[in-house]
Order: sequence, then structure tokens, then C-alpha cells
Amino acid sequence: MGIKIAAMILAGGKGTRLKALTRKTAKPAVSYGAKYRIIDFPLSNCANSNINHVGVLTQYESSDLNSYIGNGKNWGLNGVNSLTAVLTPKQTEEGSSWYKGTADAIYQNIDWLDSIAPEYVLILSGDHIYSTTYDEMLKLHEEKKADCTISVIEVPIEEASRFGILETDNESNITAFKEKPKVPKSNLASMGIYIFNYKILRSMLVEDAKNENSDHDFGKNIIPTMLEKGKKLVAYTFKGYWKDVGTISSLHQANMDLLLSGDPSINLFSVQANQRIYSEDTHATPQYIGSKAVVKDCLINQGATILGEVDHCVISSQVEVEEGAKVVNSVLMQGVSIKKGAVVENAIIGPNSEVEENEQLNVGNKDIALYARG
Amino acid sequence: MNDVIGIVNFHSSPEIPQLTDSRPLGSTSFLGRYACCDFAMSNITNSGISTMGILVKDHQRSILKHLGSMDAWTTNTKIGQQIIMYNEPGHLYPSSNTDINNIKENDWVLYDSSASYIVVVPAHVITNIDLRPIIKEHIQRKEKITVVATKVKNAEDEFLTSKVLSVDKNGYVQEAIENVGIAGEAIVSMEMYVINRTVLADMIHRYARRNLTLDLKTLIYIVTREDGFKAHVYMYDGYARCIDSFKHYMDYSFELFSKDISKQLFKKDWPIYTLTHDTPPALYGKDAKVSNSFISNGSLIEGTVINSIIARNVKVAKGAVVKDSIVFSSTMIGDKAHIENALIDKYSIITRSHIVSGDKNEPHYVAQGSII
Repeated sequence: MGIKIAAMILAGGKGTRLKALTRKTAKPAVSYGAKYRIIDFPLSNCANSNINHVGVLTQYESSDLNSYIGNGKNWGLNGVNSLTAVLTPKQTEEGSSWYKGTADAIYQNIDWLDSIAPEYVLILSGDHIYSTTYDEMLKLHEEKKADCTISVIEVPIEEASRFGILETDNESNITAFKEKPKVPKSNLASMGIYIFNYKILRSMLVEDAKNENSDHDFGKNIIPTMLEKGKKLVAYTFKGYWKDVGTISSLHQANMDLLLSGDPSINLFSVQANQRIYSEDTHATPQYIGSKAVVKDCLINQGATILGEVDHCVISSQVEVEEGAKVVNSVLMQGVSIKKGAVVENAIIGPNSEVEENEQLNVGNKDIALYARG
Repeated sequence: MNDVIGIVNFHSSPEIPQLTDSRPLGSTSFLGRYACCDFAMSNITNSGISTMGILVKDHQRSILKHLGSMDAWTTNTKIGQQIIMYNEPGHLYPSSNTDINNIKENDWVLYDSSASYIVVVPAHVITNIDLRPIIKEHIQRKEKITVVATKVKNAEDEFLTSKVLSVDKNGYVQEAIENVGIAGEAIVSMEMYVINRTVLADMIHRYARRNLTLDLKTLIYIVTREDGFKAHVYMYDGYARCIDSFKHYMDYSFELFSKDISKQLFKKDWPIYTLTHDTPPALYGKDAKVSNSFISNGSLIEGTVINSIIARNVKVAKGAVVKDSIVFSSTMIGDKAHIENALIDKYSIITRSHIVSGDKNEPHYVAQGSII
């Protein structure tokens, strides 16, 4: 007997535009929001949706990410009738190969999916920031008897050419899909979140794997092929906060969105028990704010010591801001040390980096700078 | 160390009227993030001891809620055991609800074990003691009983619920008297012991039946007097604070604002473990003014916090002032409320513009769940 739904989280990407932050870290493992890593969000969303079978597909710089995910304990995904598996490219009888694309990553794990025999498969991206449950999307998928449901978000039409854009009829059936269209005919952008009937997904993946001209990608290959074949594809319109942080400045902005002065549509302080975001807990002391410290409009994790001035900042564990130092509009990742008299503005300071005494970093420059020296 | 059983003793903690109404001192909040017993439990785990027993005296709900399956303090969940020990008859006869009777009630722990040594650690002493050198010395000297003690500057003001010891030239306890506020420098027992398992079993077998009100702290000195056993004294000179009164609870919390003192208790290679609550990081508003304070995750600070300790999920609204105070978890301090020299217990609500104020030497206590 199989299960109703399994989630597959694509977490193999490098995130090249995050530069030094992803030199030694996969993008889903990048630190975010003072306490979290980006992948905590899709994993917590699964837990909060009672999706208890989760495969995490890793590839780039996978050891740190793999050990972080472990058996899914941090997200409660290690109980009875639940399973968290880290799925890395492997050697098989046929040989071995890296994941060649998003669809190929799932294809290479068909045996694993067969073994848990889900009715539906939810495909997620490991590097999106949003807090939701997938309950409504699954309900729509079942009600519409769809073969595939794609989660979409309305984007400003002038930005639509950056996304995969869907066209729908008035019943939410998808009629066309275009990857980065020059002249977009709609503002419904695919979020890269799909629910498939597993049987159909399985046959599509097997067919796609045989096609040597395919990029083995959901957006470029699987979805267009399904449309061609007249399969029933439905759009689910997502409302709420959703970010695919690709660049240093968008990662910075997504951090600032969490502040009280930020974007009210993302709220880590939600009172609803099923909207909490779970993460690894560090064995840190409570945060200490010193006698001469100034702390305004900040999000600060346990284990931080603030003796200087911080304004409009997101500050991780084990960060030290010394007396006389001043940090404005910046993200300080874990273990950062800001020495006496240093001034930092509009920056992301990478893990374990040190800003030296009286050093001035990016002062007066409005463009977000990245400093990673750890 | 599979040859040692670590026991966290909740029986030896004093009752402090303000704090221990609905929970033992051991599971009372400390520094916003911890429970007092986290220190005892982390010391056992960090010392490599894999079997841990918890001697529960009362209020087991509070303890069990914090401990769960004790995974948070366990290095390997398959190696060793985690045992909750509860004295059921003691519930009916409070005067016999002692640590000795609890161990007797659960004596299979003593008999069904190949461990040679029992280490008893009190739940209410805040310390980061490494138990390994103590056990090592106990074994090397072939002792039966070792008492861990510390030197205090003024016994009138420290370890008020412990024994004051006089030690002979060979390092054994000569005399142990109740510390009823003895002025001046003294050696006090930390109520921490290493005892050979067979010796403890024998002590319980012979004495616990005769006198139902005996506790470990008394029995140890009875056997040294009556049976000629010697209790070796191990002197510990690191950080150790015994929470013996409400005032001291506040003082020992506040003194950790000093880096010189907090670095003695919190060391990189000696983590203090606690239960995870999955609370978000603390959020500060534009008008927040915070100085010399510990703030826990899950808190939302929009007002002023000075020289204070704020536990998890506390809201300090705009215009509110919290000064020289401790606020326990899930408490709400309303607009323009003013809290000074006070301890606000869990789940309380201080409504708009209300003032809660105590004296520096006599902090005001607001009970759990109060609405003011």
C-alpha cells in the first residue's frame, strides 16, 4: 500500500549569483533570517502540511547540506510513518551521472519513489522563501482531477518576461506555457512548485530520459510536452510572500522584509502553530545587549553579543558587535565579528568574517555589498 | 563512561515560595533560555556519562514537559539509559518523599546495572563542573564516598541550604553541620557526591527502612559517624551558585551581565543544552531601547529594557519600561506599563500604564498567569 503524497525538494543548485556565499555552500543551505537556512522554509512547509515523506535532492557542495538535513529531525520528519531521505547522484548498474536537470534528478530516483508508492508527488525548490501549507493546492488538484497542478504567482507585467509564464482559461486550466517570453500574454508566473499524479509523472520522466535533445527540465521540457499531449494542467494561484532569492541584493531585501519595518506579509511571529518555521537549534547562550548598545529595528538570534550600535539589521548567532562599532542596514551571518570603531553599511557579511577595528565597509554606498572572509 | 550512572537530584532543592508553587526549582526558568536543571544535565552529558536518572520529587508535569525523552541532553540515544525516577509512596507521605526513598523505590536502577559508581548532582546548583576528574580521583584513591565541596567567602550569604564541612588533614569530612547562616569563610558541600554503587545500595538497605525521613545529605554523614565510612572531600574552585532564596535567584541571574562572570559559566567547549522551542529570533522595533540585558528568542521588544532578563515569547509594547527585572516566558507588557525590581512569572499580562515595582533588596513577584 502506498502513501498519498511525497515531496521532492530540488536542492542541488549552486546559486552562482550569490557569489562567495555559495563558494562552499549550496544555495538552499545559505543562512537567512538570523537563525534559518533557506531550505528550512520548504521543509517546514511540508511538515506543516502533514507531508511526511520527503526526498531532498542534493548535488552541489552536498556534504554540509546532507548532514544538516540528516533524518529530518529538526522539522519533526523522523516520526513513525515519516521518512526523510537525502538523495544524491549515485552509481548504478547502468553507470553513474550527475543530475542533468530538474526532471533528470527526479528520474534518477524513480526507484525510491516506486518504493514508497505515492499517489501524488509534490515538486519543490529548496531555495524559495515562503511560509505556507500545500493543503489548498492539493485540494484543487484533486477537485479538478488534474494531471499536474502548477503553483503560480501574479507578477507585474513588466517583469513577466523574467519568468516562466502561464496562460489559463477561466477555469484555471493551463492553455500555454512559455519560458521567459519576450511579449508576455499573462502575468501568471510559475513558482516551480508542481503537484503531479505520480503515475503520469513517472511515464513522462521515463519518456523524457530517452530524449537526447531534452534539457531534462520541468519548465523547458516536461510541462510543454504534457500540454502538447493534451494532459490536464491546472494553475493554483498562490497569495502571499514568496521570494526566489537569486542575487545578493534580493537576499539582503528578503532579510530586511522580516523586520517590523519590513514586509508584513511574511511574519515569523505567526501565532498559528502550523505556520512555524523549524530549524536547527544552536547551543548558544541568550543574546546579550550591552550597557552602551543601541539596537533599533533588528532581528537578532540567540548567542549574539551586541555592544555597539545596530540599526535595521538581521544578526545571526555568535555574532559580536564591539563597543563603538556601528552597523546599518546589513545582514551579519553566524560568527561575524565587528571590531571597535568599525562602520558597516548596506552589506551582507558572510559567515565567520571579521571586520577590523575602525574599518569602514561600504559606507555611503547604496548598493548592497558582500563581504565574505570566513 | 558506561561505568557511571549520573543522577540529577530534584529532592535537594529548596522550596522558594515565589518560584516553586507549581514547579520544582530544577525546572524553573534561568536566564530566559534555560531551566536550572539544564546545567546539571549538561554537566553529566559533557562528562561523557551516558546513563542519567532524574530523581523527581514533585510537579512531574513541569519536569516531564521540559525533559521529554531527554534526547536534547543525550549524546547517543542507544548507549546508556535515560530514567525518570518517581517516588509514588512519597506522594502520600510528604515527609518521606526524600531522595533516599526515591532511589529505594526505584532500586532496580542500582541492582540492574553493571555501573560501579553513582554521581549525584543537585538540580538547583548553577555550575559548569567537569565530573571526570572527580570520578578519577575517587577511583584512584579507592574511596567509597566523595563529597564535592567549594570554599565560600561568607557562608551567611551562600549555600544556605547546604552543609558546612570541617575537613581533616587527610581530606575527609570531620564534621558536617547545617548551614543556618554561619558567618565567615567556610567549606560548604555542593550536595554533589560520587558513591560506589554497592555502598549506596548497602546504605539504603540498612538505614532507609529504619528511618523513613532520611535524605542523602543526612545519611552520608550518619554512615561516616556510625559505620566508620570516610567521606572524601573534593574541592571545586570553579563557578558554582546555589539557588537558595528568591533574592539570590535574582542576584545570580543579574551577575551574569558581567562578562567576567558569564565567561566563567559559559565556555565554548562546555555547551549547556536545553529544549528547543522553535521560536524565531528576537525582533526589535524602531523605538526599542535596550541596554545591559539578556533577551531570548521569540521576544518582540518595542519598548525599553534596562538591566533585565527577558525570556521567550515576551512582548514589551511601545512606551513600556522594564528595568532591573526578570520577565518569564509568554508574558505581555502593555503600552506604557512600568516594571521595576520585579519578577513577572509566565503567562502574565501587565496591562496598559500599570506599574509593578519592588525594592532593590526585596524584588516584587507577580505570580504565573496574573493579569494586572
